[in-house]
Amino acid sequence: MGSAKPRPSGGRASVAKAPTLQALPDKTFIVDNGAYTLKAGYAPEYPPPEDEEKALSACATIPNTIVKTRGNRIYVGSQLNTHVTDWNEMSFRRPVEKGYIVNWEAQKEIWEHSFFDEKTVRSKELRITDPEDTTLVLTEAPNALPVLQKNADEIVMEEWGFGGYYRSLGPPLNAWNELNTVFGDPVVKEADSVVSPRECLLVIDSGYSHTTVTPVYRGQPLQRAIRRLDLGGKHLTNYLKEMVSVRQYNMVDETYIMNEVKEAVCYVSNNFVGDLEQTWKGNRKRDLSDSQEGVAVDYVLPDPNAGKKGFMRPHDPLLNAKKRKGALSGASAEALSEDALVLGNERFTVPEVLFTPSDIGMKQAGIPDIVLQSLSVLPTGLHPAFLANVLVVGGNSLLPGFMERLETELRQLASAECVVRVRCPQDPIRSTWLGASRLATNREELKKVAITRQEYQEYGSSWAGRKFAGA
Amino acid sequence: MYRVELLPGSTTHVTPGWTYVPDRGFDPAKAAITPTIGRKRGIRDPGRTDLSSRQTNAIIRHLAELDRENHRDVQIQVPVRQKEPAAPRGTRTKVTSNVRRILQSQKTFRNYLDDEEAAQASTPGATTAATNPASAAAAGAGSGTAAGHRGSIHRITKSSTAATTPSSLRRSSTPVSSRGGDHHHHHRTKKQPSIPPSQPQPQPPSSRASTLPATTPVPIPETTAGSPAPPTDTPTKTEDPEPNTTTLIRSEHDTNPLLRSYLPAPPSERIMQALLAEPPLTYHAARAGPPLAPRRSPRHFCCMCGYWGKIRCKNCHARTCGLACYKVHEDSRCGAFF
Repeated sequence: MGSAKPRPSGGRASVAKAPTLQALPDKTFIVDNGAYTLKAGYAPEYPPPEDEEKALSACATIPNTIVKTRGNRIYVGSQLNTHVTDWNEMSFRRPVEKGYIVNWEAQKEIWEHSFFDEKTVRSKELRITDPEDTTLVLTEAPNALPVLQKNADEIVMEEWGFGGYYRSLGPPLNAWNELNTVFGDPVVKEADSVVSPRECLLVIDSGYSHTTVTPVYRGQPLQRAIRRLDLGGKHLTNYLKEMVSVRQYNMVDETYIMNEVKEAVCYVSNNFVGDLEQTWKGNRKRDLSDSQEGVAVDYVLPDPNAGKKGFMRPHDPLLNAKKRKGALSGASAEALSEDALVLGNERFTVPEVLFTPSDIGMKQAGIPDIVLQSLSVLPTGLHPAFLANVLVVGGNSLLPGFMERLETELRQLASAECVVRVRCPQDPIRSTWLGASRLATNREELKKVAITRQEYQEYGSSWAGRKFAGA
Repeated sequence: MYRVELLPGSTTHVTPGWTYVPDRGFDPAKAAITPTIGRKRGIRDPGRTDLSSRQTNAIIRHLAELDRENHRDVQIQVPVRQKEPAAPRGTRTKVTSNVRRILQSQKTFRNYLDDEEAAQASTPGATTAATNPASAAAAGAGSGTAAGHRGSIHRITKSSTAATTPSSLRRSSTPVSSRGGDHHHHHRTKKQPSIPPSQPQPQPPSSRASTLPATTPVPIPETTAGSPAPPTDTPTKTEDPEPNTTTLIRSEHDTNPLLRSYLPAPPSERIMQALLAEPPLTYHAARAGPPLAPRRSPRHFCCMCGYWGKIRCKNCHARTCGLACYKVHEDSRCGAFF
């Protein structure tokens, strides 16, 4: 702590009365630091915008990665979306491992690039000009290692020196969102009431590295009931990549492209056995071509030379025959050069592992089962309230059919007396950020949990860690 | 990583080389190095467990493969900034030692996790101390055992479901009245002596609804409508100052305790505070366990086409759906045996 710089005054408040307590800076910058993308932006002023679209306009989604293209060029963060045209054989370096910030060297570079460096920051709204006058709200995944938490605190306070700082679990922040409309409950309008969290909410956060189940009571997590399934979007992409590589083209180096394929074609089946029968190759021989059409699709791979992106189209079983014919009759070179993957049962067997991890030999339960595992360590009196308020956030909830399947299976598992409602916010990816931004408008609550720079300098990082742990 | 733990016991005498240790169930963190069963027997044939150690290891390798960012190991350096690094720092002075240490650290998550486990193992008191508040809340959730190991988590979940079902939480309405202090309960508590003790004391559905958390709207139509015998009429019912006016057909089975539908009362504020005050679980303890009720036997898929894997290769344990796929498998990938 002695190594922190001795600054006489940190914020405006302390200019007036130097020895008194430093107040929390007014501006709040929120970073939801995901493994795949980081969601960042300034929180709005006190009455938070009613319109969700408007509130989310302040939030930018930035790929949290440093990439290397096959031309050995290196790009950082949002450059992935603007500068890169050739996605083949792209490799990634991600500072977040298993959901936790592990490599601060890379993370610092991405943050500098996205928020601090005026030459590379995308827009003025995202730039942190003076950290001393900014409160940072940083999210983390549940059950983090204390060492990693300490690292984060030290970097934030000693490298950038934010005026205020709050490190919070990500999932509980969703409870601050306006969820009555999501759940179809009557909206209680009270004039200039402060933003408050929902009383009981069960958050399922299915992200890139893992899927967590977090019961949240009045905005606070019930730590004993947090459970984690070590499967996330990354595993789905890699699994699809592996399947396609065995069955069709070798795509083992094409993580980026396979991720696009996954997002385009994968869905969660609500009739697994039936869908699997439909995609059986024996149907083709028996000339039941109509049954095949339902599931199988073609995905035309992107062509970096022609500058074309990949896209999905209905499966054409006669494609190869047509191509051969076209080659003889001299059809357009464009149609001949394109490469397409045929995706049949890969479309639904890949996301199926989230519900049945035993399909890949994993000895963990599927998501609906984990919800019950989580609830089983809580008093039974809470079960009805949590089961009726299940919120799914994270990118995997965008898989078509995910919500229906989850609700169906949860309904079957849950006690018959309980109502089961599973809902997904409008934007499941930025929902946590939105919740944090609404919390930030409630200054009183934020003051209770956040620490100031002065406090950090006085008490040190282990005190900060204890404070954020709620002890 | 892998270490043999010699447990002191009163009757056992220490024999060099081996010892009895408690079976903590499957631990994915250690499974890669710990054979599931002893010696050679488990390598090919599934013994005590349902998978041979070769299969288990293959699964672990596969899962590790799925967890990778890139197919091969690449080193991506942080790009060098063109301008001098001092410029963007602005008013900030030089880097502190903490920051330098963190930035230069090349540790992976695995390293940090191992450090954490080693630290926990060296101070066993820390884990129990950390989980002690859990037992403070045992009044609510009915579990007092330490949650340190992932194996014991499961025991907790089971014991707590068993322990919470008894009367303390769901039966009587009196303890709950501390929560809201709502009128129903006060009437109820006053009336209680008048009820014959042998008869189960039913609650009108309205009072049960009021015990739910107040601000979270939980629709309970299914509870009232779907319960087989809504317990509305008893001798006390007629004297109730707020009679439930819903028109339900009365029958003599209404008082049958077997037909009652319970909606347990929410725990008191004190229990909730105790639950909220608990420290987080460790990384391993938070991992979800195996399915609570393993109904289905594991499904197997064809390693070639993804259809049901009905037949097993005689050389390796890979599954295929039929002869066509088996032939392809035999020609190409067979030999990559478990």
